[in-house]
Amino acid sequence: MTRKMIKDHPILNFEHEKKKVVKFTFDGREMEGVEGEPIAAALHSNGVQIYRITPKQERTRGFFCAIGKCSSCFMVVNGVPNVRTCVTPLEAGMKVETQTGMGILKPEE
Amino acid sequence: MDSKKVDVAVIGGGVHGCSTAYHLAQKGFKTALFERDYITSGSSGRSAAGLRYQFGTEVNILLAQYNMKCLKTLGRDLNYPGDLEYDPAGYLWIAYSESQLDQLEKNVKLQNELGTTGSKVLNVKEIQEVAPHLNTEGMLGASFNQEDGHINPHTLCFAYADAAKELGVEIYKKTSVTGIITKNGCVAGIHTDKGDWEADAVVCCAGAWSVEAGRWLDLDIPITPERHQIMITEPVERMKHPMTLCLDDGSYWKQCPNGTFMLGVGKDEVKDTSFYASWDYLDAATERILPKMPVLSGIRVVRQWTGPYANTPDLQAIVGPTPVEGFYIDCGWSGHGLQFAPSVGRIMAEFVNGEKPFIDVSMFRYSRFEEGELFFEPACI
Repeated sequence: MTRKMIKDHPILNFEHEKKKVVKFTFDGREMEGVEGEPIAAALHSNGVQIYRITPKQERTRGFFCAIGKCSSCFMVVNGVPNVRTCVTPLEAGMKVETQTGMGILKPEE
Repeated sequence: MDSKKVDVAVIGGGVHGCSTAYHLAQKGFKTALFERDYITSGSSGRSAAGLRYQFGTEVNILLAQYNMKCLKTLGRDLNYPGDLEYDPAGYLWIAYSESQLDQLEKNVKLQNELGTTGSKVLNVKEIQEVAPHLNTEGMLGASFNQEDGHINPHTLCFAYADAAKELGVEIYKKTSVTGIITKNGCVAGIHTDKGDWEADAVVCCAGAWSVEAGRWLDLDIPITPERHQIMITEPVERMKHPMTLCLDDGSYWKQCPNGTFMLGVGKDEVKDTSFYASWDYLDAATERILPKMPVLSGIRVVRQWTGPYANTPDLQAIVGPTPVEGFYIDCGWSGHGLQFAPSVGRIMAEFVNGEKPFIDVSMFRYSRFEEGELFFEPACI
C-alpha cells in the first residue's frame, strides 16, 4: 500500500506512528487508514480521488475545501448519504461508498 | 414633488399584486405596481407554496379549479423563460379523529359535486399506497388528490411581474407607499417615498401589511399577522411522497422537485410581521414530523425562515371594493393565498373595470365582519 501522507512537515507533527491503523471498505474494497483522521484523507492516502458523481451533469467530484463547507466530498458512509467525508473521522469497519446523485434515504433497519 | 399619472396603482409586489397588475394591463389599464422591498419579499416568497383542489367551500373550490387549470401551463402561457416547478406530487390531508374524517369526507363530496376530478377519501391502507414512508399510527383516513402539489413561489411571482411589465406595467421596487390621496371621499392617488402618483383606483395586495393602508383611509381591515416558520433540508433523491398535512397538530411537509424536504408545523406563534426565526422551531417541527416519517431521521436541515400569515377572524380572504370609492383590497388570505393568484388577480381587474367577477366572491366582502357574516373555510388550518 502506498500511503500518500506527509511524514515530515516543517510545522505540524501528525504523529501518525502513534495512531491506530484500522480497516474500512471503499465501494467494497478493503483499505487501511489512520483512525480518527478524516475519511477523505484516508481515501486520498489510498489513491482514491473520485468521491461522488453530481446529480445533474454526472461529473466527478473529490476533495476540495477540506473544511466541511463545499459539499464536494459527499459520500455514502454506513448507508447514510451526503456525509462530509473531509470532516468526518474514520472509524474501524466503516463502509464508505461513492455517492451517485443526491443520495437515497433508506429506512432504518 | 413631481406627480405622475396612472389609471390604477397596485400596492404590493407579491403574487397577488403581480397577477392583479398583469390582469389590469390586459384590460388596457395604465398600471403601476409599488413594492416596498423586492418582488416576492413578503409572504409570497416565504410560502410553502402548496397547490390544491381540496377546499371545503363552494367559492374556494371553484376558484381552486380555475387556479389549478392555469397553474399547470402558466409558465408557457406567460412566456416565462424560467421554471415554475409545477409539480403534481399529490396532497394528503390526514385525519386523526372521526370529526376530522367526517369533515374531509364532506369536503371531497362537495368538490366532486362541483366538478373537481381526482379528489377522494383514502383509508389507511390506501394512504400507505400513495405515501409508503408514512408511519400511519393514529391515522384514521385522509383526503387526497394526485393533481395537487407544489410550485416555486418566486418564479410564479416573477412570471406574473415580467408578463405585467411586458404589457406596460411600471414596477417600482424599493418604493414604499406612504399614504393614499383622496378627493371628495374618492381615491385620487398615492403618496410614496419616491413621490406622488395620481390614480383613479388603488388595489391593495399588501398581505398582512394591508392594515396600515386601511388606516390611511380610516378603514379597519381586521387582519392579525401571525408568524409562520418553515425549514428546508438538504436535497435527496426523489421519493414517492405527496405533500402531507396532519390535522392532529398542523404539521406538514413535502419534497420539492429539487429533492429538498420542506417541513412546517402549526404552533403558537408571535403575532407580528417580523422575519426573525426562532431556535425552538427546530424541535417543534422535528419532534412532530420525524415520528410520522421516520425515514427523514438524520436528514440535515439547511435553513429556516419565516413569513407572516394575514389572518382574518374567519381565516378567509377579504376581496373586493371598500366603502372608499376606488379603493379595492385583496388581502387576508390567512395562509392559503399564493395559489389563488390566477383567479383573484383576474377578479380584481374585473372589479376595477366595473365587471361582475367571473366567480362570485361576494362572501369575501370587506363589510362581512361588520354584518356579522363570518364565512369559515373548513379546509384550512
